[in-house]
Amino acid sequence: MQNFEVNSNQIDKIKKITSDEKDFRIKNLELFKASGFPNKKLEDWKFSDFKYIVDSNFNELKIKETSFNQQNIDLISDFEHNYILLVDGNLQSSNFNYEEKSKIIINSFDKSTDYKTTSNSLVNLNHALAENGYSLEIAKNYKFKKVLVIYNLFTKDLKNIILNNKNRIKLNENSELHTIEYTINESKSKFINNVYENIILEKNSKLKNLTIQKNKSDGFFHKFLKCKLLLNSNYLNLIFSSGLKFNKIDIECDLINENCECNILSALFLKKNEHQEIKTCINHLAPNCKSYQKVKNVLSEESKGVFQGKIFVKDIAQKTDAYQLSKALLLNDEAEFNSKPELEIYADDVKCSHGSTSGNIDEDALHYLMTRGLTKNDSIKLLIKGFLNDVVDYIKNPSVKKFIENKFEEQINGH
Amino acid sequence: MLEIKNLQVSINSKQILNGLNLSIKPGELHAIMGPNGSGKSTLANVLSGKSGYEVSGQINFEGKNLKGVPVEERAQKGIFLAFQYPLEIPGVNTNNFLKTSLNSVLKANGKKEVDTLSFLKLVKEKSLELGIDEKFLSRQLNVGFSGGEKKKNEILQMKILDPILSILDETDSGLDIDALKIIAKGVNLSRDKKKSFLVITHYQRLLDYIKPDFVHVLSGGRIIKTGHGELAEELEKTGYTKLN
Repeated sequence: MQNFEVNSNQIDKIKKITSDEKDFRIKNLELFKASGFPNKKLEDWKFSDFKYIVDSNFNELKIKETSFNQQNIDLISDFEHNYILLVDGNLQSSNFNYEEKSKIIINSFDKSTDYKTTSNSLVNLNHALAENGYSLEIAKNYKFKKVLVIYNLFTKDLKNIILNNKNRIKLNENSELHTIEYTINESKSKFINNVYENIILEKNSKLKNLTIQKNKSDGFFHKFLKCKLLLNSNYLNLIFSSGLKFNKIDIECDLINENCECNILSALFLKKNEHQEIKTCINHLAPNCKSYQKVKNVLSEESKGVFQGKIFVKDIAQKTDAYQLSKALLLNDEAEFNSKPELEIYADDVKCSHGSTSGNIDEDALHYLMTRGLTKNDSIKLLIKGFLNDVVDYIKNPSVKKFIENKFEEQINGH
Repeated sequence: MLEIKNLQVSINSKQILNGLNLSIKPGELHAIMGPNGSGKSTLANVLSGKSGYEVSGQINFEGKNLKGVPVEERAQKGIFLAFQYPLEIPGVNTNNFLKTSLNSVLKANGKKEVDTLSFLKLVKEKSLELGIDEKFLSRQLNVGFSGGEKKKNEILQMKILDPILSILDETDSGLDIDALKIIAKGVNLSRDKKKSFLVITHYQRLLDYIKPDFVHVLSGGRIIKTGHGELAEELEKTGYTKLN
């Protein structure tokens, strides 16, 4: 691909813009222009050379013009839920019929420019161009009664488009929310979805977020997730991912006050030449916080899985309890898994550990299952499910759990 | 039912079984005893169809040569192997697994598959018959099971899949007397004119509870002596060395 160039008049097209916002966008565009798409020379991208991936998959890239058609989708009927519908990242509609609406603020895009300068050029690009997304804020003491499903629909006319969307979730004191991000793909062509997501959990609040795809996609996904956890807050992120050509989720989580808890768990199933990376940076900035990360990958054919996980413990963050584990099950010789754990600890009274394993299907286990009449194929599927199952067990709501199990099983069986 | 002729088995060019002959008729229970390394488990593995062995000679099951018949088809035809060391399979629910295997066996034999309700009824019935707690079936397959629970689970699987030839590979090893009785009960209750058993054991103790029709001594990859119950008692006193 020829160089992807973004003209600064792209920013001039943005309507209702303050001069501060404009400066912020221009500054970030300059940063992006200076470095271009990230490549493997950068430590954070050493296993996922995004520039190379873009160059070899796209002849050209265009920025989505902001015109969105009304879209209809089939809602999930397995369990009652609230929902918001995003069409190519743009907030189209929302429905909070199960909740007290006065406790919820939903807007289409958060215009704040209060972001630290970053060296991640995809984030720079997002800061420069993002005009769509959602901003959700839950009032103090309000606990959601039902799950909120975020339908993330990608329409069919996205050929060679790069989308830049920005989302924000803020939970005020003592509030609780459970979301399911459900990606539906209608695009038959390649596109890039570059998302920045901002999560703020105030004192005693609790957020559970689950991600899963309805179907496979030729989209290339990058999401940078910035979470800030305040006193006693609790964050759980469950990532089930399968059938995406490229997916990198970069999570930076700041545990700002005491007694926060951050759990990141993922169950990934990759095939063909799919490429997925989970990168985390958990910053323990206060004492008595807990973080737990478990990343499980099943890799077949020529797929590639990457986990780069960092735990940072500041000198004052005594009694930190941080754990990180990555496990990969490789189904053949061509599949690849890269794991880079990193611990940076400045406090002396902490519990921090990490582990990483990768291996093949256990032939003896396979034989055992087959002696009970199961075919080799069914036995392998059972072992894959068994391998990924402990992540599914984190879902407490039985009907949601059943739904996710079925979806994930479809994806495994369909491969 | 099972006819083994001149079975030669080697693994990585190391000869393990060396011209083994054995014939098991319907309704018979054969015990195989033998010193460590004599090839008992290899025999069990080869009968189950495990890969990695070089096999020559003939194994006929129900009149058909088993050569090239894959593991799962042997199971579907009614061969069951109770493992010496049952494997732990994390994340796989024991009940779900058992139901899936029962249904694949039923399906392969052109029979109607069972639904969850009738499966659970069957499990309850068989557990009760054996006097074992069915609770461990809601756990992950063999994960965190005690040695005894693992072996009991093997016997329960045997009862549920209802094979015509059951091979018990040192199922009695490491069991206390109560667990041993459960295992024996499981076998004894299944015995009938059509079902056959091949029980591999080190100790005569098991044969106090399960009465074999024949006792064979396997040594150096061959059956060197065949007798009845009293042969096991004799071995208990004299050991294997005198036989050689």
